[in-house]
Amino acid sequence: MNPLIPVMVVLPILCALLLNLLHGRDRTVKALAVAVAVLLPVIPLLAGYGVHYFGGYAPLSENSTIAAGLPGSIKSSYLYSFHPAITYVFGSAQRIFLVILSVVTFLAVLTSLNEVRRPSGVYAFLMFMGTAAVTAIVLTDDIFNLYVFFEIAALAQVGVVLCSGVERNYETALKYMMIGGVAAPMLLLGVAILLALTGNVNISDIVYSMRSGLVNPGSPLFLLASALLIFGWLYGTGLPPFHTIKSAIYSKALPHGSALLQAFSVFTFTALAIVILRMFYHVPLVRWVMVFFSLAGMVLGISMALMQTDLRRMIGFLAVGELGYIGIGFGLGTAASISAGLFQAVNEALITACIFLGFGTIFYMTGKTDPEDIGGLMAYKPGLAGLVMLSGFIMAGVPPFNVFQSKLRLIQAAIQAGVPELGILMILLSIVTFMTFMRAFYSVYLKPEPKGMELESRSVPRSTVFSMVVLIIICTVLGIAPWLATSHFTALIQGLII
Amino acid sequence: MNFYDEIINRIRKVTGERGEGESNISVSAALTAEITFISAVLIAAVMLRKLNFILMVIAVLLLAAVLLTSFPLSARLRTEQGDGFSTMIFYVLLTLGILVSIFYWGGAGV
Repeated sequence: MNPLIPVMVVLPILCALLLNLLHGRDRTVKALAVAVAVLLPVIPLLAGYGVHYFGGYAPLSENSTIAAGLPGSIKSSYLYSFHPAITYVFGSAQRIFLVILSVVTFLAVLTSLNEVRRPSGVYAFLMFMGTAAVTAIVLTDDIFNLYVFFEIAALAQVGVVLCSGVERNYETALKYMMIGGVAAPMLLLGVAILLALTGNVNISDIVYSMRSGLVNPGSPLFLLASALLIFGWLYGTGLPPFHTIKSAIYSKALPHGSALLQAFSVFTFTALAIVILRMFYHVPLVRWVMVFFSLAGMVLGISMALMQTDLRRMIGFLAVGELGYIGIGFGLGTAASISAGLFQAVNEALITACIFLGFGTIFYMTGKTDPEDIGGLMAYKPGLAGLVMLSGFIMAGVPPFNVFQSKLRLIQAAIQAGVPELGILMILLSIVTFMTFMRAFYSVYLKPEPKGMELESRSVPRSTVFSMVVLIIICTVLGIAPWLATSHFTALIQGLII
Repeated sequence: MNFYDEIINRIRKVTGERGEGESNISVSAALTAEITFISAVLIAAVMLRKLNFILMVIAVLLLAAVLLTSFPLSARLRTEQGDGFSTMIFYVLLTLGILVSIFYWGGAGV
């Protein structure tokens, strides 16, 4: 057992609770938040791979003292390898996901602390609580535990929106909660059906039951459970029909909050998709449904982004649209496509955070989000404009950056899987994404300054620029050396494909 | 009247009802969204060849006819994908119903 595995979840929860209690003591809140945010990426880097059983209740097969006294009938049965405890699994894929999530959390926390006059302990509480919840979702091998943290992450996201002070944020947060009131219980119902059919909530045990013939994996109830899990997955990630509310959530949070929320969405998307594929890889319909909703998310997200008159909403829709690429990787179901999808998830979390922070500087300087009211910002901040443009290039898939590598691999995987149409669609939608981004960039930076435009601030906090530079550097490094990320996915993919 | 003017007039008709003006940028963006949506749906429909080639041909022809005669789709799409709670929950429940029906009655071989 590795004690650092639970620390990855417990530390941000403890930090969150302390920050909430310390709200009002500005220096202490700032120091504690930064210290823990720095520690977060270090822990997964230091932790060894392994499994953690909460309460120490390891399977009988791993407990030689108890196993020695057991009759042969137990040793030869399914009970011998049964997982009685909530189990967390930390492998190489989990390491890269958690490092990236923690880096985005650190940069979002750092930016938030420097962009406001007084740091808010409550806001920091929500950021850390959300991070802890998504970390648990990535680590857990227990589907009920996953559901609990899924709900905590959703509540933290609502809280981040409520703390933003953006116009009509309360309305959007309430809508998200009410829609969640339909979607999340469906996920729980799916978990309940799986528990009823297999007598278990441990994902490895459920998969074992299905693959070894202990239960009939083709029964309608199993398939119903898969439909409900997919529905929960759509809600957690923001694919249609949840794309409208998810993009609204992004647009009603502060830029650093949006950067973090989309990272939550990306890693929840990945973790849930892995669980669904582990259980239902044998059902082709599951994979085609994943492809369908991912494609719908890409087309609707990017089409809707084109028609927005609010910058934050436009980026929100683009973020939702980009998630579709990851889903296509999973849906195609080949080793190459899943690897490319996982790589796209890592890249997406990084670059969308950078774009949210970049466009957030426009709101910081002007206090406006309608491109009609903004223009000519290139004259004030040419360096920052360069960083924003660079992040747009990266998101669209311009070489030699990381998104180029992952999108290229996705297109190649689609062609190899015998579905070149998906490759064509991905190319088409990447071009439109680039066009959408350039339209926003032109409106804000290159268009002549509108009469009467007043700047609320002529400078941007250094921490924001630092965060963008760090994210772009990571994107460049992963673009030049993609194996730094992709080599971590091999073991995970081998366990997914039957 | 050429095709371009026809499209702009129809977009104006839809957006004008909501009292919104349109610039060159917004009209070109709406046109791009229109073309993107139509081409994406048609290309996606080609994937039906995995099920049945004749079904694919019929679907593509039908979709092409419907989409090309329903301009402006993008403006309608924007209205339909609005922030109204009733619209959102309608699509959420519709999706849930379709998913559950297909999976429960579809069988593992689908």
